Amino acid sequence: MRGATVLKASDDKTRQLNKNTLMAYSGEAGDTVQFAEYIQANAQLYSMRNETDLSPSALANYVRGELATSLRSRKPYNVNLLLGGVDPITHKPSLFWLDYLASLAPVPYAAHGYAQYYCLSILDKHHSPGISLGEGIKLLEMCTDELKRRMPIDFKGMTVKAVTKNGIVDIEFNDDKIVKCA
Amino acid sequence: MFVTARPFSLLPHLPGGTPPDADAEAEADHPPLTDGGAAVAMVGKDCVAIACDLRLGLQALTVSNNFPKIFQYGDVFLGLTGLATDVATVSDLFRFKVNMYRLREERNIAPATFANLVSSSLYEKRFGPYFVSPVVAGLEPKTGKPFICGFDSIGCIDFAKDFIVSGTASEQLFGMCESLWEPDLGPEDLFETISQALLNAVDRDALSGWGAHVYIIEKDKVTKRLLKGRQD
Amino acid sequence: MDTLVARYSRPAAQRETFADDQHDDLHDDTTNSMSLKFAIPPIAQPSAWLRAATDDRANPQCPIKIAHGTTTLAFRFQGGIIVATDSRATAGNWIASQTVKKVIEINNCLLGTMAGGAADCQYWLAWLGMQCRLHELRHKRRISVAAASKILANLVYQYKGMGLSMGTMCAGVTKEEGPALYYIDSDGTRLAGNLFCVGSGQTFAYGVLDAEYRYDLSEEEALALGSRSILAATHRDAYSGGFINLYHVKEDGWVKHGFSDTNPIFWKTKLESGEFTNVTSDFVGERV
Repeated sequence: MRGATVLKASDDKTRQLNKNTLMAYSGEAGDTVQFAEYIQANAQLYSMRNETDLSPSALANYVRGELATSLRSRKPYNVNLLLGGVDPITHKPSLFWLDYLASLAPVPYAAHGYAQYYCLSILDKHHSPGISLGEGIKLLEMCTDELKRRMPIDFKGMTVKAVTKNGIVDIEFNDDKIVKCA
Repeated sequence: MFVTARPFSLLPHLPGGTPPDADAEAEADHPPLTDGGAAVAMVGKDCVAIACDLRLGLQALTVSNNFPKIFQYGDVFLGLTGLATDVATVSDLFRFKVNMYRLREERNIAPATFANLVSSSLYEKRFGPYFVSPVVAGLEPKTGKPFICGFDSIGCIDFAKDFIVSGTASEQLFGMCESLWEPDLGPEDLFETISQALLNAVDRDALSGWGAHVYIIEKDKVTKRLLKGRQD
Repeated sequence: MDTLVARYSRPAAQRETFADDQHDDLHDDTTNSMSLKFAIPPIAQPSAWLRAATDDRANPQCPIKIAHGTTTLAFRFQGGIIVATDSRATAGNWIASQTVKKVIEINNCLLGTMAGGAADCQYWLAWLGMQCRLHELRHKRRISVAAASKILANLVYQYKGMGLSMGTMCAGVTKEEGPALYYIDSDGTRLAGNLFCVGSGQTFAYGVLDAEYRYDLSEEEALALGSRSILAATHRDAYSGGFINLYHVKEDGWVKHGFSDTNPIFWKTKLESGEFTNVTSDFVGERV
């Protein structure tokens, strides 16, 4: 978005940090990509130097530290993040919620911005930790349907990726459906 | 925290003098007041207790119900309420400092020493403070005497013989503690007292609650309990 | 009867100023009978002054804290209308009450809900009840929900910009209209619709409600969905909570389905249906 114009409708707002960790970002234009790619570069540097990947929780705490340092600098990054990954050793999936103030919380499901206000109650009701990928996509569809129904803006489609223990996969997601208020 | 009624402004002095209502404005913008959280520490007979709520929120929105605000450093416990990012930053900072202390001294830090470390570390940031109100609890290693204290965000220590409260529910906690606390409570009674004080205080505060952690610290035993609180 | 109606259709404050022979013009002129007299502070900009003194979002230090924060919902379905609310009143972060009745029983077939300024809603919905009764006495039949909601909308519009704060829903079932639901707010908006959620927790309630709402819901399903939507909002919104107040409006009047504490309902929902997986329920003490 620039002023009242959509510049690009299919911008990928995620960066892969290592084989099984993905970070999605939102926030101020410029800050987001700069910060995400800085983190990505450092995560990859670590993987190359040590021939092992950092776990999602280690990465989340590293990102939090960087963001917290930046918060008290002259020009803080204004970036909100969701960091999801599967631990390379234990194969446990985990998700972290980080906002631009560098508050970090491990959560079972998360969102940023206005989406939080519409989606968290849906996830509270319909999420359970044992769901399959297919069920997860269905749940995501419930969320995007609600956003289409109630949010006063058109967010121009979704990018959907899944982090599995075998790596990160792109998911086909049908977002052409038109949803109307009851 | 002031020892007399607001002798000077907390704000860096602005050119042309501080506006008369600058204090009120600064407080209005204080982020910790909108983030939510509560912590309390109490003295008992040969034991101390410290407890916190579990909410992490963005103003009215509850983001997480699993955000403990008590951190253990050897024999000392630190409760931190205020801005969530600073709770994490400050707790990490003290973990680092306490680990360095243990490596140098080859012993755990004592609560009173830790209190002074907290105080001076917070005052280092006098002109750009961490927005936290810490609470420290522990037993003095040599005497086994209970020790608790609280701080304002720039490191003024508030020693107490009875209880320390902090966070958005601090007024409610003061009321609960003033009426429930009594001297020389045993560990079980102290647990009951601190739990009732915290749960009932946060039930009257919109920004804290959603469950609680309670630590009862005795000479050779620390018990941690998770309290089931209201989830609204 | 007409004299009785006329007497009560005037505000008490005006009683002395009008002679008896003016009754007839008065109760024909509905707008006149609606403009009650309120004391206005004797200053240049009363509404700006009031806003400065009461708006705690813009100024948390404001001297007068008005009770805010709510979740209320109402939806139409084949069996009538479900109306559900939470019961929390907050002034700033202070929880002033957990037992507020946010459903106002206007009469035995009309319900109003309360969001925004508690006093504004209570006063004007009670006043609306009076107007509805007067309508019944004058016209020998019950007022339609459309008319009742219009009376309220016109009234609040008269006070637009003066600092009234209310978001309310009027629900009723009449022979002519069937189940009818209107949303009215202090801006003067008045909308008819199938489903509304109002208050600080509205988005959370919409989330749960929209996902499972159908017009052909059974009565049992509709009650459960209304209650569950409020529960969702009380969980995520700090300014909603307390008790779930549940009503079902049918053609022969409304039925109350309890004023129930959210706490046991929450744990029952979590433990029996496996929902709210973000909350831990592992309460065993451990030694550190």
